[in-house]
Amino acid sequence: MNMHKDNMTNQNDINLIDDDMISDPVMEAQIAQSITDFLNNRVQHLKPEQEQRLSAARNAAVDYLAEQQAQYSTANRIAGHGNVLHWFGQHVGNNIEQHRFASTALLLVVMLVTFFAVQQFGFNNNLENSDAFLLASDLPPEAYADKGFDAWIESN
Amino acid sequence: MATPKELSDFLATVERRAFKQTAYAVRDDHAALDIVQDAMMKLAEKYGDRPPTEFPMLFQRILQNTMRDFWRRQKVRNMWTSLLSSFGGNDADSEDRDPLETIDVGDDSDEPSIQLARNQTIQLIEHALEKLPARQREAFVLRYWEEMDVAETAEIMGCSDGSVKTHCSRAVHALALELKKQGLDKLGLSNAIFDRK
Repeated sequence: MNMHKDNMTNQNDINLIDDDMISDPVMEAQIAQSITDFLNNRVQHLKPEQEQRLSAARNAAVDYLAEQQAQYSTANRIAGHGNVLHWFGQHVGNNIEQHRFASTALLLVVMLVTFFAVQQFGFNNNLENSDAFLLASDLPPEAYADKGFDAWIESN
Repeated sequence: MATPKELSDFLATVERRAFKQTAYAVRDDHAALDIVQDAMMKLAEKYGDRPPTEFPMLFQRILQNTMRDFWRRQKVRNMWTSLLSSFGGNDADSEDRDPLETIDVGDDSDEPSIQLARNQTIQLIEHALEKLPARQREAFVLRYWEEMDVAETAEIMGCSDGSVKTHCSRAVHALALELKKQGLDKLGLSNAIFDRK
Protein backbone atom coordinates (compact mmCIF):
# COMPACT_ATOMS: atom_id res chain seq x y z
CA MET A 1 0.00 0.00 0.00
CA ASN A 2 2.82 2.33 1.03
CA MET A 3 4.81 1.39 -2.06
CA HIS A 4 1.81 2.18 -4.19
CA LYS A 5 1.47 5.54 -2.44
CA ASP A 6 5.17 6.33 -2.99
CA ASN A 7 4.87 5.51 -6.64
CA MET A 8 1.85 7.73 -6.93
CA THR A 9 3.72 10.57 -5.20
CA ASN A 10 6.74 10.20 -7.47
CA GLN A 11 4.53 10.09 -10.49
CA ASN A 12 2.94 13.31 -9.31
CA ASP A 13 6.38 14.80 -8.81
CA ILE A 14 7.29 14.06 -12.41
CA ASN A 15 4.07 15.50 -13.61
CA LEU A 16 4.76 18.59 -11.56
CA ILE A 17 7.88 19.34 -13.57
CA ASP A 18 6.41 21.01 -16.57
CA ASP A 19 7.55 23.88 -18.73
CA ASP A 20 5.83 26.53 -16.62
CA MET A 21 7.46 25.29 -13.46
CA ILE A 22 10.96 25.28 -14.95
CA SER A 23 10.35 28.76 -16.28
CA ASP A 24 9.92 29.92 -12.70
CA PRO A 25 13.32 31.32 -11.60
CA VAL A 26 12.93 29.99 -8.06
CA MET A 27 12.11 26.51 -9.31
CA GLU A 28 14.92 26.72 -11.82
CA ALA A 29 17.37 27.55 -9.03
CA GLN A 30 16.05 24.67 -6.93
CA ILE A 31 16.43 22.16 -9.73
CA ALA A 32 19.92 23.48 -10.43
CA GLN A 33 20.78 23.25 -6.74
CA SER A 34 19.60 19.63 -6.59
CA ILE A 35 21.68 18.73 -9.60
CA THR A 36 24.78 20.47 -8.28
CA ASP A 37 24.34 18.70 -4.93
CA PHE A 38 24.69 15.40 -6.76
CA LEU A 39 27.65 16.73 -8.71
CA ASN A 40 29.35 17.91 -5.52
CA ASN A 41 28.83 14.49 -4.05
CA ARG A 42 30.39 13.03 -7.15
CA VAL A 43 33.58 15.08 -6.93
CA GLN A 44 34.24 13.73 -3.46
CA HIS A 45 34.78 10.29 -4.95
CA LEU A 46 37.42 10.63 -7.62
CA LYS A 47 39.70 7.78 -8.51
CA PRO A 48 42.97 7.69 -6.55
CA GLU A 49 45.08 8.23 -9.68
CA GLN A 50 43.00 11.26 -10.55
CA GLU A 51 43.45 12.62 -7.04
CA GLN A 52 47.20 12.09 -7.30
CA ARG A 53 47.40 13.75 -10.68
CA LEU A 54 45.46 16.80 -9.47
CA SER A 55 47.60 17.02 -6.37
CA ALA A 56 50.79 16.83 -8.45
CA ALA A 57 49.52 19.55 -10.80
CA ARG A 58 48.65 21.77 -7.86
CA ASN A 59 52.05 21.25 -6.27
CA ALA A 60 53.81 22.05 -9.55
CA ALA A 61 51.88 25.32 -9.88
CA VAL A 62 52.52 26.27 -6.25
CA ASP A 63 56.23 25.42 -6.54
CA TYR A 64 56.46 27.56 -9.65
CA LEU A 65 54.88 30.52 -7.85
CA ALA A 66 57.17 30.05 -4.83
CA GLU A 67 60.21 29.98 -7.11
CA GLN A 68 59.07 33.11 -8.95
CA GLN A 69 58.49 34.94 -5.71
CA ALA A 70 61.89 33.87 -4.39
CA GLN A 71 63.57 35.24 -7.52
CA TYR A 72 61.57 38.45 -7.25
CA SER A 73 62.53 38.79 -3.60
CA THR A 74 66.23 38.24 -4.39
CA ALA A 75 66.12 40.84 -7.14
CA ASN A 76 64.47 43.32 -4.76
CA ARG A 77 67.11 42.63 -2.09
CA ILE A 78 69.89 43.38 -4.54
CA ALA A 79 68.15 46.55 -5.63
CA GLY A 80 67.67 47.49 -1.98
CA HIS A 81 71.41 47.07 -1.25
CA GLY A 82 72.15 49.21 -4.27
CA ASN A 83 70.06 51.96 -2.79
CA VAL A 84 71.80 51.66 0.56
CA LEU A 85 75.22 51.85 -1.11
CA HIS A 86 74.07 54.82 -3.06
CA TRP A 87 72.86 56.43 0.14
CA PHE A 88 76.23 55.86 1.80
CA GLY A 89 78.19 56.78 -1.27
CA GLN A 90 76.05 59.69 -2.35
CA HIS A 91 79.02 61.90 -3.10
CA VAL A 92 80.61 59.23 -5.26
CA GLY A 93 77.34 58.71 -6.98
CA ASN A 94 76.83 62.41 -7.51
CA ASN A 95 80.34 62.77 -8.85
CA ILE A 96 79.69 59.96 -11.27
CA GLU A 97 76.50 61.65 -12.38
CA GLN A 98 78.26 65.00 -12.73
CA HIS A 99 81.12 63.40 -14.58
CA ARG A 100 78.70 61.86 -17.00
CA PHE A 101 76.99 65.19 -17.62
CA ALA A 102 80.29 67.00 -17.97
CA SER A 103 81.62 64.43 -20.44
CA THR A 104 78.57 64.84 -22.63
CA ALA A 105 78.80 68.62 -22.52
CA LEU A 106 82.53 68.53 -23.30
CA LEU A 107 81.97 66.25 -26.28
CA LEU A 108 79.29 68.59 -27.56
CA VAL A 109 81.56 71.62 -27.21
CA VAL A 110 84.41 69.84 -29.01
CA MET A 111 82.10 68.94 -31.86
CA LEU A 112 80.82 72.50 -32.17
CA VAL A 113 84.35 73.99 -32.07
CA THR A 114 85.52 71.52 -34.70
CA PHE A 115 82.58 72.40 -36.92
CA PHE A 116 83.15 76.12 -36.68
CA ALA A 117 86.94 75.69 -37.14
CA VAL A 118 86.40 73.69 -40.32
CA GLN A 119 83.92 76.26 -41.56
CA GLN A 120 86.28 79.11 -40.74
CA PHE A 121 89.28 77.41 -42.35
CA GLY A 122 87.31 76.70 -45.49
CA PHE A 123 86.10 80.32 -45.71
CA ASN A 124 89.63 81.72 -45.27
CA ASN A 125 91.00 79.30 -47.83
CA ASN A 126 88.39 80.36 -50.40
CA LEU A 127 89.12 84.01 -49.71
CA GLU A 128 92.85 83.49 -50.26
CA ASN A 129 92.22 81.62 -53.51
CA SER A 130 89.97 84.34 -54.89
CA ASP A 131 92.50 87.05 -53.91
CA ALA A 132 95.30 85.16 -55.64
CA PHE A 133 93.14 84.73 -58.77
CA LEU A 134 92.33 88.40 -58.97
CA LEU A 135 95.90 89.49 -58.44
CA ALA A 136 97.27 87.01 -60.98
CA SER A 137 94.75 87.76 -63.74
CA ASP A 138 95.34 90.10 -66.67
CA LEU A 139 92.42 92.29 -65.81
CA PRO A 140 92.70 94.79 -63.00
CA PRO A 141 90.35 94.05 -60.09
CA GLU A 142 88.51 97.34 -60.70
CA ALA A 143 87.28 95.97 -64.05
CA TYR A 144 85.09 93.42 -62.21
CA ALA A 145 83.42 96.21 -60.26
CA ASP A 146 82.66 98.26 -63.40
CA LYS A 147 79.09 97.67 -64.59
CA GLY A 148 79.93 98.73 -68.14
CA PHE A 149 82.66 96.12 -68.35
CA ASP A 150 80.20 93.17 -68.64
CA ALA A 151 78.32 94.98 -71.40
CA TRP A 152 81.58 95.68 -73.21
CA ILE A 153 82.57 91.96 -73.03
CA GLU A 154 79.18 90.84 -74.40
CA SER A 155 79.33 93.40 -77.28
CA ASN A 156 82.78 92.18 -78.23
CA MET B 1 50.15 39.38 -4.19
CA ALA B 2 49.05 35.86 -3.33
CA THR B 3 51.28 33.60 -1.30
CA PRO B 4 52.00 30.03 -2.45
CA LYS B 5 49.82 28.79 0.40
CA GLU B 6 46.89 30.92 -0.75
CA LEU B 7 47.29 29.59 -4.26
CA SER B 8 47.51 26.04 -2.95
CA ASP B 9 44.38 26.47 -0.83
CA PHE B 10 42.48 27.95 -3.73
CA LEU B 11 43.48 25.19 -6.13
CA ALA B 12 42.66 22.53 -3.56
CA THR B 13 39.12 23.87 -3.30
CA VAL B 14 38.46 24.07 -7.04
CA GLU B 15 40.55 21.31 -8.60
CA ARG B 16 38.00 18.50 -8.29
CA ARG B 17 35.13 20.51 -9.69
CA ALA B 18 37.41 21.87 -12.40
CA PHE B 19 38.37 18.34 -13.36
CA LYS B 20 34.82 17.05 -13.53
CA GLN B 21 33.61 20.17 -15.29
CA THR B 22 36.33 19.69 -17.91
CA ALA B 23 35.65 15.98 -18.16
CA TYR B 24 31.98 16.68 -18.94
CA ALA B 25 33.06 19.05 -21.67
CA VAL B 26 35.81 17.00 -23.33
CA ARG B 27 34.52 13.52 -22.38
CA ASP B 28 38.04 12.27 -21.76
CA ASP B 29 39.41 12.03 -18.23
CA HIS B 30 43.07 12.07 -19.28
CA ALA B 31 42.58 15.12 -21.48
CA ALA B 32 40.61 16.78 -18.68
CA LEU B 33 43.47 16.22 -16.24
CA ASP B 34 45.93 17.70 -18.76
CA ILE B 35 43.71 20.73 -19.26
CA VAL B 36 43.30 21.35 -15.54
CA GLN B 37 47.06 20.99 -15.06
CA ASP B 38 47.70 23.53 -17.84
CA ALA B 39 45.18 25.92 -16.34
CA MET B 40 46.77 25.66 -12.89
CA MET B 41 50.22 26.35 -14.29
CA LYS B 42 49.01 29.30 -16.37
CA LEU B 43 47.34 30.79 -13.30
CA ALA B 44 50.61 30.55 -11.36
CA GLU B 45 52.73 31.82 -14.26
CA LYS B 46 50.66 34.75 -15.41
CA TYR B 47 48.51 35.76 -12.49
CA GLY B 48 50.50 34.70 -9.44
CA ASP B 49 50.97 38.35 -8.55
CA ARG B 50 47.21 38.97 -8.32
CA PRO B 51 45.30 38.94 -5.04
CA PRO B 52 43.65 35.60 -4.18
CA THR B 53 40.18 37.14 -4.46
CA GLU B 54 40.67 37.37 -8.21
CA PHE B 55 41.67 33.72 -8.57
CA PRO B 56 38.20 32.19 -9.10
CA MET B 57 37.37 34.40 -12.08
CA LEU B 58 40.85 34.16 -13.57
CA PHE B 59 41.05 30.40 -13.15
CA GLN B 60 37.67 29.83 -14.73
CA ARG B 61 38.56 32.05 -17.66
CA ILE B 62 41.87 30.23 -18.15
CA LEU B 63 40.12 26.87 -17.86
CA GLN B 64 37.50 27.80 -20.45
CA ASN B 65 40.17 29.10 -22.84
CA THR B 66 42.30 26.00 -22.37
CA MET B 67 39.26 23.86 -23.14
CA ARG B 68 38.66 25.87 -26.32
CA ASP B 69 42.30 25.36 -27.31
CA PHE B 70 41.81 21.64 -26.76
CA TRP B 71 38.75 21.64 -29.01
CA ARG B 72 40.63 23.49 -31.73
CA ARG B 73 43.52 21.03 -31.59
CA GLN B 74 41.07 18.14 -31.51
CA LYS B 75 39.29 19.48 -34.56
CA VAL B 76 42.52 19.68 -36.54
CA ARG B 77 43.59 16.23 -35.34
CA ASN B 78 40.22 14.73 -36.27
CA MET B 79 40.45 16.26 -39.71
CA TRP B 80 43.83 14.64 -40.30
CA THR B 81 42.71 11.36 -38.74
CA SER B 82 39.65 11.19 -40.96
CA LEU B 83 41.77 12.03 -43.98
CA LEU B 84 44.33 9.35 -43.15
CA SER B 85 41.72 6.75 -42.18
CA SER B 86 40.06 7.21 -45.54
CA PHE B 87 43.23 5.70 -47.02
CA GLY B 88 43.50 2.88 -44.48
CA GLY B 89 41.33 0.21 -42.86
CA ASN B 90 39.35 0.28 -39.64
CA ASP B 91 41.26 0.82 -36.45
CA ALA B 92 40.30 -1.03 -33.29
CA ASP B 93 41.11 2.05 -31.17
CA SER B 94 38.54 4.12 -32.96
CA GLU B 95 35.66 2.15 -31.53
CA ASP B 96 33.31 3.93 -29.19
CA ARG B 97 34.25 4.12 -25.57
CA ASP B 98 32.53 1.65 -23.32
CA PRO B 99 30.67 3.65 -20.64
CA LEU B 100 30.97 0.72 -18.24
CA GLU B 101 34.72 1.31 -18.09
CA THR B 102 34.22 4.73 -16.53
CA ILE B 103 31.69 3.75 -13.91
CA ASP B 104 33.10 4.45 -10.51
CA VAL B 105 31.66 2.19 -7.86
CA GLY B 106 34.15 3.07 -5.18
CA ASP B 107 31.66 4.73 -2.81
CA ASP B 108 31.76 2.86 0.45
CA SER B 109 29.64 5.17 2.55
CA ASP B 110 26.17 3.62 2.38
CA GLU B 111 24.36 0.42 1.73
CA PRO B 112 24.89 -1.15 -1.68
CA SER B 113 21.34 -0.39 -2.86
CA ILE B 114 21.67 3.29 -1.93
CA GLN B 115 25.13 3.46 -3.48
CA LEU B 116 23.79 1.95 -6.65
CA ALA B 117 20.85 4.35 -6.80
CA ARG B 118 23.11 7.34 -6.15
CA ASN B 119 25.66 6.23 -8.73
CA GLN B 120 22.91 5.75 -11.27
CA THR B 121 21.54 9.19 -10.52
CA ILE B 122 24.94 10.80 -10.80
CA GLN B 123 25.66 9.01 -14.05
CA LEU B 124 22.35 10.10 -15.48
CA ILE B 125 23.08 13.67 -14.48
CA GLU B 126 26.57 13.45 -15.93
CA HIS B 127 25.29 12.06 -19.21
CA ALA B 128 22.60 14.73 -19.33
CA LEU B 129 25.26 17.38 -18.71
CA GLU B 130 27.48 15.95 -21.43
CA LYS B 131 24.59 16.07 -23.86
CA LEU B 132 23.98 19.77 -23.27
CA PRO B 133 25.23 22.24 -25.88
CA ALA B 134 28.63 23.59 -24.86
CA ARG B 135 27.48 27.13 -24.07
CA GLN B 136 24.56 25.93 -21.98
CA ARG B 137 26.79 23.56 -20.05
CA GLU B 138 29.36 26.30 -19.51
CA ALA B 139 26.70 28.71 -18.25
CA PHE B 140 25.14 26.09 -15.97
CA VAL B 141 28.45 25.04 -14.47
CA LEU B 142 29.71 28.55 -13.87
CA ARG B 143 26.45 29.98 -12.62
CA TYR B 144 25.18 27.14 -10.47
CA TRP B 145 28.09 24.85 -9.71
CA GLU B 146 30.80 27.46 -9.32
CA GLU B 147 28.17 29.77 -7.79
CA MET B 148 29.24 32.81 -9.77
CA ASP B 149 26.83 35.67 -10.29
CA VAL B 150 25.38 36.49 -13.68
CA ALA B 151 27.83 39.32 -14.36
CA GLU B 152 30.89 37.17 -13.57
CA THR B 153 29.58 34.33 -15.69
CA ALA B 154 28.92 36.73 -18.55
CA GLU B 155 32.44 38.12 -18.31
CA ILE B 156 34.04 34.68 -18.42
CA MET B 157 31.82 33.54 -21.27
CA GLY B 158 32.27 36.80 -23.16
CA CYS B 159 28.55 37.43 -23.60
CA SER B 160 25.78 39.58 -22.13
CA ASP B 161 23.97 39.01 -18.84
CA GLY B 162 20.81 38.24 -20.76
CA SER B 163 22.55 35.51 -22.75
CA VAL B 164 23.78 33.92 -19.53
CA LYS B 165 20.25 33.86 -18.11
CA THR B 166 18.94 32.36 -21.32
CA HIS B 167 21.66 29.70 -21.45
CA CYS B 168 21.13 28.83 -17.79
CA SER B 169 17.38 28.60 -18.16
CA ARG B 170 17.64 26.41 -21.23
CA ALA B 171 20.26 24.22 -19.55
CA VAL B 172 18.12 23.62 -16.46
CA HIS B 173 15.11 23.04 -18.65
CA ALA B 174 16.96 20.51 -20.79
CA LEU B 175 18.50 18.77 -17.78
CA ALA B 176 15.18 18.49 -15.98
CA LEU B 177 13.41 17.12 -19.02
CA GLU B 178 16.23 14.70 -19.77
CA LEU B 179 16.24 13.41 -16.21
CA LYS B 180 12.49 13.16 -16.23
CA LYS B 181 12.68 11.19 -19.44
CA GLN B 182 15.25 8.86 -17.88
CA GLY B 183 13.00 8.06 -14.97
CA LEU B 184 13.51 10.73 -12.39
CA ASP B 185 11.14 9.09 -9.90
CA LYS B 186 13.32 5.99 -9.67
CA LEU B 187 16.41 7.95 -8.78
CA GLY B 188 15.24 10.14 -5.97
CA LEU B 189 16.03 13.41 -7.70
CA SER B 190 12.43 14.49 -7.76
CA ASN B 191 12.21 14.08 -4.01
CA ALA B 192 15.41 16.02 -3.63
CA ILE B 193 13.88 18.81 -5.65
CA PHE B 194 10.49 18.84 -4.08
CA ASP B 195 11.75 18.46 -0.54
CA ARG B 196 13.16 21.95 -0.96
CA LYS B 197 9.78 23.48 -1.59
